[in-house]
Amino acid sequence: MSRTLKLAAVMGVITSLPIIPSVAAAENLKVVASFSIIGDFAKNVGGDRVDIITLVGPNGDAHVYEPKPADAATVGSADVVLVNGLQFEGFLQRLVEASATKAPVVELTKGGEVLRNTEEEGHHDQDKAAKGEEGHAAEAKEGHEEGHHHHGEFDPHAWQSVHNAELYVKNIADAFCAADAAGCDTYRANAESYGQQLAALEEEIKAAVAEIPEDKRTIITSHDAYGYFEHEYGIKFLAPEGVSTESEASAADVAALIKQIRQDKASAIFVENVTNPRLIEQIASETGLKIGGELYSDALSDENGPAATYLEMMRHNITAIKGAILGS
Amino acid sequence: MRTNLASATAIALFLSLSTSAAHAEEVTAWRLFISDHADPKVTVIDAVDGGKLDTFKIKGPASLHRSESGRTVFAVQGSAGVVTGIASGISFEDHGEHGDIDVEAPKLAGVEITGKKPSHFVEHDGDFAAFFDGEGVARIISEKVVLEGKSDFREVKTDAPQHGVAVTYGSHVLLSEPNREKPDELPVGIRVADEAGAPIGGIHACPDLHGEASSGNILAFACATGLLVVSHRDGTPAIRHLPYADSLPDGKTTTLIGGRGLQYFLGNYGADKVVLIDPTVESNAFRLISLPTRRVHFAVDPVRAKYAYVFTEDGQLHQLDVVKAEIANSLKLTDPYSMDGHWSEPRPRVAVAGDKIVVTDPLKGVLHLVDATSFEKTGDIAVEGKPFNIVSVGGSGQTHEGE
Repeated sequence: MSRTLKLAAVMGVITSLPIIPSVAAAENLKVVASFSIIGDFAKNVGGDRVDIITLVGPNGDAHVYEPKPADAATVGSADVVLVNGLQFEGFLQRLVEASATKAPVVELTKGGEVLRNTEEEGHHDQDKAAKGEEGHAAEAKEGHEEGHHHHGEFDPHAWQSVHNAELYVKNIADAFCAADAAGCDTYRANAESYGQQLAALEEEIKAAVAEIPEDKRTIITSHDAYGYFEHEYGIKFLAPEGVSTESEASAADVAALIKQIRQDKASAIFVENVTNPRLIEQIASETGLKIGGELYSDALSDENGPAATYLEMMRHNITAIKGAILGS
Repeated sequence: MRTNLASATAIALFLSLSTSAAHAEEVTAWRLFISDHADPKVTVIDAVDGGKLDTFKIKGPASLHRSESGRTVFAVQGSAGVVTGIASGISFEDHGEHGDIDVEAPKLAGVEITGKKPSHFVEHDGDFAAFFDGEGVARIISEKVVLEGKSDFREVKTDAPQHGVAVTYGSHVLLSEPNREKPDELPVGIRVADEAGAPIGGIHACPDLHGEASSGNILAFACATGLLVVSHRDGTPAIRHLPYADSLPDGKTTTLIGGRGLQYFLGNYGADKVVLIDPTVESNAFRLISLPTRRVHFAVDPVRAKYAYVFTEDGQLHQLDVVKAEIANSLKLTDPYSMDGHWSEPRPRVAVAGDKIVVTDPLKGVLHLVDATSFEKTGDIAVEGKPFNIVSVGGSGQTHEGE
């Protein structure tokens, strides 16, 4: 079965509520972004018409984030809540329930091409996928009292493809227009302008990958966060941990990975900003690979870091990958 | 598997699996484990239909603790000097996109840990640490071992008998430090030790240490001066002191519980106030809520993360909105239970079982049932004796017949 599916078939995590009436133009739109990359997209689309609060901040790991009562209050007073979907935010269902928000909760991966989670592949049928996270939430609510985070059928890291980032931006513009019709032209213009920067970024990444010999395009990271990058740009990523950082890699997983690294002749190994580097350091030491630096996977860096925006993050990552491989 | 033990709301679903068409049932099962104030027994009640499932004889009156997984319940019998493990009979298995439930008869696990004056009992990282005050010793055992019916525990010793606590933390153990000058008083701090109990570094001051809880990935101890907050730092415990806010009146927390679903701590603050604590924020970490009368007991709602419940001596159950930090609803359930008198007198305790809030009424010999959604009383369950401590175990999951 193909790993790629149109996400239109996948139901949303939360039943979308009726779109709220447009807010008065004098008031900025109160936007909550679930994590830093979405916060950056929202900033580029909303400009100075929106006030954005990001729940999982720079270098934060949304896979294991624990929402606070203050987060519930923030979501409760929002006009628009922007989330990734595909069960990336394991905390989302319980947070939204606790918040009693009337704001639309917008899944930005909706309508995009999504990849199956290879860990889960062949495990379930496609009809089950259509049940989406709504079904999970119901199961999780009691059986795993705290809304235990199931790993989904799909890889949630869709932003790692710039092509998908364009869809995130479109979905954000649509959500902002629905909530603030008076600002719609501004949002569309901002999205158009930012889209041009994304298109240029896409070309840069493709050009950089083209300079890497095909037999050197296998690298190691901490967790399976780069499936979309691999699918789109042709760099093969291997990782000891699955699509979520929530469950730790077993000794058997690590041993199998080391064997695969030797077979596939991996060219470089990287730590990630959202994970503990210890496991990667161990693998580097056992395989003789030199750590090529830090990649940004599920979160931006802080303002002083090399990946304070999505554009910077993607440029930093491809530059680090290319540098480590060609320097190896 | 015997699902007849669960009064189950069973919904048949057809799931077309890749290999064969298997019949999946959605099963809900909840059990209440109740200790008696006078008699050495634990009664198990089916919370779905109210029927009694079993009664287990133990050695003395017990406080009860359920494990994180719900597979085990422990009866800590301070006066009898023993901790008894009970297999709840309910277990879950995560299958990624759904969870399976397995329901069997509850039974004594065949595990007893003995020692002088067991009191604080804490689970962390899948290990249980029972602290024996009369010896100043923690006895640590894993759930896996308990469910195998083995009493294979390891011991970690502190320097003196104390009303103390131990918490396993990865390859470390956090141990309370006794008050050497006044051995009868509460511990004065926390010490990090290796698995064998050898100290690592100095003492983290926590005067009048009493009360500990976990919420998500944070552990907290209550002190006279504030909280000791423990979080992970590259696999080792990072401990910091969070002082009580200047805006709080004089007082301290001595009992602490941890939020589930939302990360927060709820503690008493003096006798007639509670405090909601978010140890992750720079300001407004403490939000004080006054109660109409003195607090008897409290519990967090593990399903509806927004709520916790506080029972007060006027016989009222209060629904506490932890987002707004206010009492959302109150419901009169029992006759008054004065907090005057000995701390261990029989008074109500609260547990949440799915959509029910259950409150023990020891002097009436009943459990009061409150619907968690409407916050209205829906019924009573009679329990012989003086039903006192209570924990609940259960949830929903699928069963697969013919697999």
